[in-house]
Amino acid sequence: MMNKTASVVIIGGGISGCAIAYSLAKKGVKDVVVVEREYLCSGATGRCGAGVRMQWGTEMNCKLAKYSIEFFETANEELEYEYDIEFKQGGYLIIAATEKEVEQFQKNIKLQNSLGIPSRYITPKEAKEIVPHMDETQILGAAFNPKDGHLNPFHTTQAYANAAQRLGVEIMKFTEVTGIDVENGKIKGVQTTKGYISTPVVVNAAGGYSQLISKMVGVEMPVFSERHQILVTEPVAPMQGPMFMSFSQNIYCQQTPHGSFIMGRGDPNEPRDLRITSSWDFLEEMAKTCIRLLPPLRELRMVRQWSGLYNMSPDRQPIYGPVKEVEGFYLACGFSGHGFMFGPVTGVVISEAILGEEPTIPVHMLGLDRFEKGELILEPSVV
Amino acid sequence: MIKTDIAVIGGGPAGICAAIDAAASGARVLLIDRNSQLGGQLIKQTHMFFGSQKQHASKRGIDIPGILAEEMKKYQDKIEVMLDATVLGLYEDWVLTVEQNGKYKKIAPRAIVVATGASERFPAFPNNDLPGIYGAGAVQTLMNVYGVLPGESVFMVGAGNIGLIVSYQLLQAGVKVKGVICRSPKYGGYAVHASKIRRMGVPIMPQHRVIYAHGKEKLERITLIKLDENKKEIPGTEFDIETDVLCISTGLTPLGELLWQIGCEMKFIRELSGHVPIRNEEMETSIPGIFVAGDVAGIEEASSAMVEGRLAGLCCAKRLGFVNPDFDELKQDYLKQLHDLRSGPEGDTIRKGLAKIVI
Amino acid sequence: MLKSTGIPTQKDLETVVPSKERLAKGPVAIMECFEKIPCNPCYTSCKRGAIKEFEDINDRPQLNVDICNGCGVCISNCPGLAIFVVDETYSETEALVKIPYEFSPLPEEGTYVTGLDREGKPVCRAKVVKVQNSKAQDRTPVVAIAVPKELSMVVRCLSLDDYYSDNTIVCRCEEVTLGEIREYIRKGYQTIEEIKRISRCGMGPCQGRTCSQLILEEIAKATGQDVADLKVHTYRQPTLPIKLGLLVGGEDDE
Repeated sequence: MMNKTASVVIIGGGISGCAIAYSLAKKGVKDVVVVEREYLCSGATGRCGAGVRMQWGTEMNCKLAKYSIEFFETANEELEYEYDIEFKQGGYLIIAATEKEVEQFQKNIKLQNSLGIPSRYITPKEAKEIVPHMDETQILGAAFNPKDGHLNPFHTTQAYANAAQRLGVEIMKFTEVTGIDVENGKIKGVQTTKGYISTPVVVNAAGGYSQLISKMVGVEMPVFSERHQILVTEPVAPMQGPMFMSFSQNIYCQQTPHGSFIMGRGDPNEPRDLRITSSWDFLEEMAKTCIRLLPPLRELRMVRQWSGLYNMSPDRQPIYGPVKEVEGFYLACGFSGHGFMFGPVTGVVISEAILGEEPTIPVHMLGLDRFEKGELILEPSVV
Repeated sequence: MIKTDIAVIGGGPAGICAAIDAAASGARVLLIDRNSQLGGQLIKQTHMFFGSQKQHASKRGIDIPGILAEEMKKYQDKIEVMLDATVLGLYEDWVLTVEQNGKYKKIAPRAIVVATGASERFPAFPNNDLPGIYGAGAVQTLMNVYGVLPGESVFMVGAGNIGLIVSYQLLQAGVKVKGVICRSPKYGGYAVHASKIRRMGVPIMPQHRVIYAHGKEKLERITLIKLDENKKEIPGTEFDIETDVLCISTGLTPLGELLWQIGCEMKFIRELSGHVPIRNEEMETSIPGIFVAGDVAGIEEASSAMVEGRLAGLCCAKRLGFVNPDFDELKQDYLKQLHDLRSGPEGDTIRKGLAKIVI
Repeated sequence: MLKSTGIPTQKDLETVVPSKERLAKGPVAIMECFEKIPCNPCYTSCKRGAIKEFEDINDRPQLNVDICNGCGVCISNCPGLAIFVVDETYSETEALVKIPYEFSPLPEEGTYVTGLDREGKPVCRAKVVKVQNSKAQDRTPVVAIAVPKELSMVVRCLSLDDYYSDNTIVCRCEEVTLGEIREYIRKGYQTIEEIKRISRCGMGPCQGRTCSQLILEEIAKATGQDVADLKVHTYRQPTLPIKLGLLVGGEDDE
């Protein structure tokens, strides 16, 4: 057991934790430590569908996503990554299957366009041209943004982690946080299975387990974790450019550059516990939805299914920044399924918050206290 | 009518050795073989032989006909070789009828050494006539004589020395050997042969039997079943293996047709793998002047076949009055060699069989 | 049991493996001949008289390890290919194993092959030190390979396929080579889950059935751990790929 001292301890080795570590180190912060219970990406990051989109229904989410996607466009170079994060901007085709969706999308697109996002509303015929194997008779229209896309979550996280390590960040894998010491309302240190780390600052980037971490310092969060399931097929020749998505039909389906299709859906009856098992009924429902909307995919063979945790916040927007109860305790959680795509902006805004800098994107309204104040703007566009 | 002192029927290891020793004793010999070269099964045996130096141990089977041919040259004025000649009949007047290259010939010898060898046994199971199912001898002929591979993958039935050796030769030729089965709990061949293919990754599977061959135009797969220790099938243990060749090596049986025709006294001796002629220690059958040597007298190794051949040739010549000056010494040496070859635990079965047939 | 499997047992081997002290002195023949069969060329081929005279042709060879200098003449003379020479003094970490090898093509000196055990299972990478194929050896060439010392009594055959070369494909689904896996391990990806994520190994249709064991072995080798102590990857449903069309009901059955 080694005792050590750090200026910042980040709990969680997913995209958020690694991006925060990188941003801090890039700003010159020394002695940053990332503590990960297993290996990097072992949690939600490594389990997610890894689609990234700018097409959101709240201004905040649009801005966070736009910043992040623009970062991904140059991430290989910026992070000097030796492999490839496999970023593919094939767009997101979000279909409108109900009148309500048509209305919502037209509103969203107006907002998105005002923020510089090049999304547009298209007809079923145009949608069919973009995804030729879809059944366009099932839809009324669609929203499409060519700048949205998909990337490899393992490589992206690794790229951040490697860059952070080169700047002096220490990453402790297979190290579990067992307690956080608070003295006089201030963070004092972190107990881990590999020793004690004295530190004035702790960042909670623990994804699906963030509420457990907050509890260690006595902070209750109105979030819960929910299993979301996903499947992947065998690789086939490129046939689908964009992510195909529907909120009302409950599906997202993307062909990766590697050729395999990744698809997932939510389940309104999902129990709110920490289970990450897989179920057969997911497979059947997923296959049904997929084949109804994208009939030729019936011929694809699925090779694997898994699940991961969404850390759900009441308004489906992230929880960022300090908490008033404990000095030195920062939150980067409650991502509600979008933590991976918000990774770059999370890194930037959390590091700015810790250093007391002017935020690149004003995120003060995403603090934990918003739930007490009741200042919620609900994100409508979530699968 | 062709006249000769001794007709040796069969030009394998036993026959060649019989011809040499008969000629060395002074007799004129006609050596008849149905193939176009002498050597019998030796010409397919690319592995090193066991035994001792006297039987050319550690030499390869394929090289032994050459060594024997060299020895035969010494007696070329005494030995005449008839190749591509099939003996059709042996009659009571000791006339041999022969078909050679489309011609019909008759031979009148004064004495005969029958060294016709053996034929392969073939187990019965449905579809055992599908193309792709071969005897081990045919596989060896294809590979080692004509240089043709029998297929890409072979499954071997039978784990006696031939099955194990042919498996090894298949591996040498680059063919995948998917497994070797035998019915008993222990395989019959030498452990060193088994180890040789095992360390190349070939599974040896005792207590199995083929019960079915599947395929339309040719063999595609086989069904095997497990056997209990008494070689009884265990129901429900059937399983399939894909293979394009099934090689059958379930044993040999003595080829004694000519001995039956002439009326030699025959006896079924399980230890010697079938019906064999009653004979004395000089290899003379119940009909004086008719001798046997090699597998026709009981299935054994090539090493003992060669010694038997020498013994039969030596004694057959003496029967006609051609007595080798070293007759006693040679005879004792041959008997000693045979005794030694059969003395170990592996020779146990042979010894038991011979006890029932040698008078 | 040797007579049902073709693999000598530990007990069989104990009767032919020389003492540690003898092995430390230099090359020596290992005569893996465990059955009484009528055969004696080993005895007649040894000019040093290291093999006791056979009283009976069915005797098993009795090697006097103090007379045997491991010259290997007997190797090519054994019709059962049952004699090997082991030299544990070859180098600090490696032993030389001389193996009769009657397959073509012959390996080339200086190249790498795979050492196989008595069951034909690959156990190590081995450098071909010498290939002897003289007339006296009469088409039973002897190949001397250098193997890790602890495998001197394990390696008894070889395969020209260099299973352990960097170019060997470990994961056939995703075409990942052993060299890539080794590089990942060197770079710190030292669990199978991490290697799976960085390389896609085990993400293909076979779900790691073929590659996971190989990767675990490589991790164990590189990190000095025991394979038994390593965590295996998560086994996810399904065990075999299945068409989406089949999941929704009968009409798509083939």
